[in-house]
Amino acid sequence: MSTSESHIPKDILRQGLPGTMDVRIERDPDDLWDDSRVIINIGPTHPAMHGAFRCMAKINGEIIEKSYSEFGYTHRAKEKIAEHRTYHQFVVYTDRLNYCSALLNNVAYSMSVERLMGIEPPARCIWIRMMASEIARIADHLICIGISAVDLGAFSFFLYGFHQREEAYTLIEKLCGARLTTSYTRIGGLMHDAPEGWEKEVKAWAVKTKSVIEEMDKLLTDNKIWRKRTEGVTIFNKEQSLAYSFTGPVARAAGIDIDLRRDQPYMYYKDVEFDVPIAQNGDCFDRYAVRLEEIKQSLKILIQCADKIQKGPIWAEDKRVRIPEKEVIYNTMEGMIHHFKFFMSGFDVPAGEAYTQVEGGNGELGFYIVSKGGPSAHRMRIRGPSFWHYQGFDPMIKGQMIGDLVAALGSINVIAGELDR
Amino acid sequence: MNILTPIPTNGGDTLIKFGSVWKSQVAILKEKFSQDVEEVLMPGEALCDVPIIYVKKKNLVNILTFLKEDSQFQYNFLADYTAIDEESDPRFEVVFNLFSHTKFARIRIKVRCAENEEMPTLISIWPGANWAEREIWDMFGIKFQGHPDLRRILMDQRWVGHPLRKDYPLRGYQVFTTPEAIDPKLLQD
Amino acid sequence: MSKDGSASVLTTRLDEVVNWARKNSLFPLPFGTSCCGIEMMATLCSDYDMARFGAEAIRFSPRQSDMLIVAGIITQKMAPVLKNIYDQMSDPKWVMSFGACASSGGIFNVYSVAQGIDTVIPVDVYVPGCPPAPEGVLNALVRLQEDIGAGRTRSQIREINQRSLGRHP
Repeated sequence: MSTSESHIPKDILRQGLPGTMDVRIERDPDDLWDDSRVIINIGPTHPAMHGAFRCMAKINGEIIEKSYSEFGYTHRAKEKIAEHRTYHQFVVYTDRLNYCSALLNNVAYSMSVERLMGIEPPARCIWIRMMASEIARIADHLICIGISAVDLGAFSFFLYGFHQREEAYTLIEKLCGARLTTSYTRIGGLMHDAPEGWEKEVKAWAVKTKSVIEEMDKLLTDNKIWRKRTEGVTIFNKEQSLAYSFTGPVARAAGIDIDLRRDQPYMYYKDVEFDVPIAQNGDCFDRYAVRLEEIKQSLKILIQCADKIQKGPIWAEDKRVRIPEKEVIYNTMEGMIHHFKFFMSGFDVPAGEAYTQVEGGNGELGFYIVSKGGPSAHRMRIRGPSFWHYQGFDPMIKGQMIGDLVAALGSINVIAGELDR
Repeated sequence: MNILTPIPTNGGDTLIKFGSVWKSQVAILKEKFSQDVEEVLMPGEALCDVPIIYVKKKNLVNILTFLKEDSQFQYNFLADYTAIDEESDPRFEVVFNLFSHTKFARIRIKVRCAENEEMPTLISIWPGANWAEREIWDMFGIKFQGHPDLRRILMDQRWVGHPLRKDYPLRGYQVFTTPEAIDPKLLQD
Repeated sequence: MSKDGSASVLTTRLDEVVNWARKNSLFPLPFGTSCCGIEMMATLCSDYDMARFGAEAIRFSPRQSDMLIVAGIITQKMAPVLKNIYDQMSDPKWVMSFGACASSGGIFNVYSVAQGIDTVIPVDVYVPGCPPAPEGVLNALVRLQEDIGAGRTRSQIREINQRSLGRHP
């Protein structure tokens, strides 16, 4: 900001011995309104902003009077890319939406295209998809709570959480070869079957994580400092949450009793038992508590899935989407031609439109696909829950202090991939 | 096999669950707003997952308020708000996906909008529509009448063009050498 | 030292000690924007500890750090901000381009993405991968440390040249 010279009268500048500058600034150049309120730019590169977002706040002392938020620093134009890629090629881009829970996005996208095509994957495929979704959800919540704890100074939670995430990464790597950006599901099936004994390892991990979570719970939930920092901070009640289209743990913390796994059941969520935690106040502590309880419920679902899964095929035998097996491709001419046509020109999805939604880590993750019958979408709209949550951030922090801004941003879990797409 | 195949694991059984509810709702809507409802596509007949109701622009706010508050409808949640470039005449379709927290039913309202026409803003019904409308302006160039702060949201403020239109190239780079400045006018009381 | 006064390959014992100290005490500035940011956090955490290599003191201010790790996508909107941060760092400084998106735009060759941070700032080591495995990151860090130890990096050559021209670097 190079406006300082214009505000300093020349006689003040010339005081003192020649050669020295004795500058007394009588008016702060950041003080645009002549009343000691200043603008601070919590810019796109800031440790407390999880990703690249910007928040310009007008502060009076420590209290934020007005703010406006800006994002778009990670806009990767996935919706436009979808119009230029085939449906199969787009699976890779869906991982990069909510990258903390990449498997969930893969599952949601595959479900959306399968809905348009009328394909039902077999039972084992759906059970594996459910287990993958729940592992992804646990990983997402662990990061969210870990990072919001680090922002407020509680470092150990982050390290414990990340160690459990590393073990989850080992499981995901056994399943599909990649740690973070998995691209695991295919339309009509999965990339590869789960290896022998994977379900037992997941069950063992779930049981161990349960005890670790109970230990981590003791670190923060009854901790006086944590409670003082998060209770009563940035309250966003039920009416406000509904007005800003909040979903997921953030909405459930405010009292909105909607969970798409229970109320609009998809996959086999009707066959597993789980509870949906709800809180009343809608402050930071409630969002933390709802997420922690959701981790416990997801572990319960995982154990039930690991018990119910059976051996079987993982591909829907639909000629339009079935990728031929490697033996067929390498040994028969038809298999090779089929493989070539499938990957080079894609398959045609019948005309129609559908809005398919799943319960993502942050809330309702939806894919609204408009298809005009070709190999790529006419319009692929991705409804990322973080977009709607970040909009509620400005009204949430009005009248709160700067430290509360940090707590609030951690608790609503804005992921740049979903926000900017 | 297409969208009309009822598969419960994909959520494809909505017609079985809500078919009668939708039929009665569409009948009430057609009767009450007979001038404004242009076209209705029902899931059993057309290739869609929920009823799509094409509505005229001028009474949009009243229709959506009615859908939100009336006891037979109760579509109180704005799930998604976006636009599609159809490249037909009129060019754009603005889409509202609504969800009912009490009946768990979904419905889609669409409004056809030509290239230089303005749409009414929905901020009076759902304040959360603010940023969605800014995104539609940014990506498609559809203006909203009555919006308090219609400026770009995902792209840089100095960007020229509306990227999600079909005539904008995928690789239409624009380079900036300075960062965006803060606009103190936005922080005025 | 050659006749016109430029020191080309001769490094003194003092330079060797200074380079050894510099390479073993890098102060990284994590510039994490998207998915690679999560893998960077995993590399900095307990399982793949980057602190073992000396890069322990994470400083979020460019004035206090000397290695800029750009992890994640850099869009046209973010590129001037990145340049701003890079300019604020003082010499000698090193840049690690973490991931495919930072190195070349990655899978996103679209209107809003800068196709690689080397269109904006000079880069010393590129780590491929989407996201790179933490082992790959540590390999890249070790190679950067070897380059710093040998005095081969752009910042250090610039420093030697400035010194031989009589200017304070």
